Amino acid sequence: MTEAEVIKLTNEVFVDSFEISPSKLLPTANIFVDLGLDSLDVVDLVVALQKKFGVTIRDDERVRSIRTLGDLQQFILTIKKEIGK
Amino acid sequence: MMRIFKIACLNLIFYPLFIILTLLALVNLGSLILLLVLFLPKRKIFKLIRHAIRWYGAVIIRILPFPFIRLDYKNFGTRDPSGPYLFVCNHRAASDPFFMAVFPYEIVQIVNIWPFRLPALGLIAKMAGYLSVREMPYDKFAAKTAELIAQGVSIAAFPEGTRSRNKSVGQFHSAIFRTALETHAAIVPVCITGNENVPPIGSGFLQPGLVKIHRLPALIWEEYGTFNAFKLKNYVREMIAKEVEIMDRIK
Repeated sequence: MTEAEVIKLTNEVFVDSFEISPSKLLPTANIFVDLGLDSLDVVDLVVALQKKFGVTIRDDERVRSIRTLGDLQQFILTIKKEIGK
Repeated sequence: MMRIFKIACLNLIFYPLFIILTLLALVNLGSLILLLVLFLPKRKIFKLIRHAIRWYGAVIIRILPFPFIRLDYKNFGTRDPSGPYLFVCNHRAASDPFFMAVFPYEIVQIVNIWPFRLPALGLIAKMAGYLSVREMPYDKFAAKTAELIAQGVSIAAFPEGTRSRNKSVGQFHSAIFRTALETHAAIVPVCITGNENVPPIGSGFLQPGLVKIHRLPALIWEEYGTFNAFKLKNYVREMIAKEVEIMDRIK
């Protein structure tokens, strides 16, 4: 999966599950401050991402350090690469 | 000069009376519980305590600061279905929980950690069964709030979680909206303005002024049932933010 595909699919999750306008989905957007998710919403986000990408990220410690949409996209990309190895 | 005089009068009158009233409330509530626990079921005692707190709060917000701080309460929800309700409020001041006394219902408030640690007031909050949302796992919070709604108890929450530093309405936490989706209870948006100086952040001095409270029409399950928690919290936040902006503009 290419970086562009990961970005596109991640953004789709935010649009479909949270109805966030695509114009707000900038790599620098803070998931909590700018996009307005809280810790409970993040649980919903993780479930939606797992479904979208067919990966398990729920128990991954690296999730805790994610702050921006860009961080999240890079994290998904890393996970996909790790699975592909 | 006149304003400084008013501030001095307000604080010199308010705080001693506030302390005396709070201590009296604490002693009387404590005695009431000790006495009634022998005769009444727990549920009935909680109900009495919560109504007693409402009267205590009404004195605090309407009588003690008068005429320096005035209250203008408007109810736009006269056609609302019967409760219990989920009151969702914006949050600018530490005094906000007291303003819930304008609502004539048995109410449990969702509070942050620090109110529980206040001397006297923390004890009163615990006696009333208020919920410290950050000190309980979400599953327990969900079960407890559902139980309260089933008992006919309304819930008041400040989903910004912390006081806003300016006049904007901050991002909302979704816990109370998940309760709404679970219980189908009516959500009542509540807008409070003019409270930012009662007292200002970083100060203990109350300032004279007009506090406006607008109870907006309830959002009922038939209207929000298809929303998810994220959409619902932002929808209600938008309703409150729009009204607050208007309230701030009209002096």
